[in-house]
Amino acid sequence: MRRRSPDAELGRLLREVPIPSDPEAEARGLELALARHTRRRRARRSPLPRLVAVFAAALALGVLLLTPAWATVRNWVGGAFESTPNHGRPTGLGSIPGGGRLLVQTAAGAWVVEPDGTRHLLHGYREASWSPHGLFLAAVGGDRLTALEPDGDPHWTIHAAAPVTYPRWSPSGELVAYRSGAGLRVVAGDGSEDRALDESVAPVAPAWDPAGRPDLAYVDARGALRVIDVSTDRPVITSGALPRIRRLEWGHTSAAHEGTTGVLLEASARRIAVRPVGIGGPGSGHLGRPLHLDVPPGATVRTAALSPDGRTVAALLVRRSRRPGHARPTDLVLYSTRTGTARRLGSVPGRLTEVAWSPRGNRLLIAWPSFDEWLFVPPSAAEGKAMTGIAAAFGTTGSPFPVVSGWCCRARSAATP
Amino acid sequence: MLVEETAVETDTVTPISRRHERRLVRAAREGSGAAVAELYAAHWRRAHRAAYLVVHDRAAAEDIAQDAFLAAIDALDRFDRRRPFAPWLHRIVVNRAIDWTRRETLRRGVDDTEVAAIAPVGPEIGGEVMAALRGLSPEQRAVVVLRHLLEYTPGEIASMLGVPRGTVNSRLRRALDRLRVVMAVER
Repeated sequence: MRRRSPDAELGRLLREVPIPSDPEAEARGLELALARHTRRRRARRSPLPRLVAVFAAALALGVLLLTPAWATVRNWVGGAFESTPNHGRPTGLGSIPGGGRLLVQTAAGAWVVEPDGTRHLLHGYREASWSPHGLFLAAVGGDRLTALEPDGDPHWTIHAAAPVTYPRWSPSGELVAYRSGAGLRVVAGDGSEDRALDESVAPVAPAWDPAGRPDLAYVDARGALRVIDVSTDRPVITSGALPRIRRLEWGHTSAAHEGTTGVLLEASARRIAVRPVGIGGPGSGHLGRPLHLDVPPGATVRTAALSPDGRTVAALLVRRSRRPGHARPTDLVLYSTRTGTARRLGSVPGRLTEVAWSPRGNRLLIAWPSFDEWLFVPPSAAEGKAMTGIAAAFGTTGSPFPVVSGWCCRARSAATP
Repeated sequence: MLVEETAVETDTVTPISRRHERRLVRAAREGSGAAVAELYAAHWRRAHRAAYLVVHDRAAAEDIAQDAFLAAIDALDRFDRRRPFAPWLHRIVVNRAIDWTRRETLRRGVDDTEVAAIAPVGPEIGGEVMAALRGLSPEQRAVVVLRHLLEYTPGEIASMLGVPRGTVNSRLRRALDRLRVVMAVER
């Protein structure tokens, strides 16, 4: 018997090696492709005036918001949002509903988007975050951490021993925490006094105490949730984190609850929990009991985010499809951090990938890559808007969908950056 | 409790002629959903397989293949009908798969080997091939998939990845050196 050439043999192996696949994946993809094709055709044929679009959205969302928790919610694809396609508009984006400036991440770098939709690219930064009042950015690229102005003017750069991720500016503006390799480090806001905090931490962004104290929450490599006082390096709180946690946020609550003034959000692929947290003074603090938010059986938590006032968690939950072969729907669900009460705002077929709160908490931005849209949803008012042509606007057609990494800012303070 | 359904997919492709494909692209441009569905049926499995062999993550492979089709639909008006559809789609798939793997590497803050070690393990059948591929960098996996699964020439691969042809050849050579041991075992 003739022996195959090594090249042909490798080709055969690659063609024949079984790969794991969801049996419905192909059908789901086809459904989305056809929906996208239909929608694109309609948009080309008869673009609706924006006024009509907003009115339709307002009407539909009014219906949505009157539905009780977990009731059947109208599918957003069915008309809650009318898109406003960017027919030849050079900028592609209109003004940002809810105001403020966005920080958007693409493969080419970080984009700063002004409230009127104009934007510019800061080349070469893989990740960036705002300083507390939006005067600066902390941006990373390779092993570099750079503090720069939003127009791209750099103030300082430090080089770490390993690739840098998760730059997070403290609310006081005095410190920047970041992950380098597997370690957690902190540097002063002027680029001095760079030092290690923990040699090995989980790949989860750390979270600063929003009240402005130098306390930092993070998850260590063994899955423990830690809060340390960075001014003294003393541990303040150590507790078990949610298993396989992927997201950690620390929100400020205006009303004290059981002696606490903050709330910690933890999210994994299956669970979401919030815990009251209180810092009594230097080196002392306590965590309240976790409140596990109701994630429907079989659903996957895509992401979750705390509102600026710490009272609400917005979560994207991917449910199993009830109809075989149909796209898995994604729900946007709002939870009260005090009671855990859930309210489902809307649902789409396919993936919603991220959710971000506006600085004042009056809008949610939801990314819908399958339809190349950002949806702007008010959590409690009857109007909404869809921005289309997002990939083209950021030059990412054919590459990963732009990621919103920050939405800035509340009123400026002269004392902080 | 949620248990994700898993099946094992094999590479069964329904070939269509270039001429028929051109007709389908034209019909899709003119609004035919049936043409989109036929293009999708002809290319989904191979696109999904290519993505999986680079990323080694079931959910990511599905997302990448799906997004590539959506991007292709968006760009139908700009597509040159005289060219074949598959290389255009595969370029999107493989570049996204490389980007995804790089991002995961950075996110985890470890090197490729460690990422490979914690990536979901495929089924037992063909386990040696998958294990050997996991030992390669994402760029090496991409050129192996483009050359030996999708059967592009090094020149075509260079154009698809935006790298010099010499880079493609050196990546292929290093990748095949590492795979050789497994190939010997499989034979």
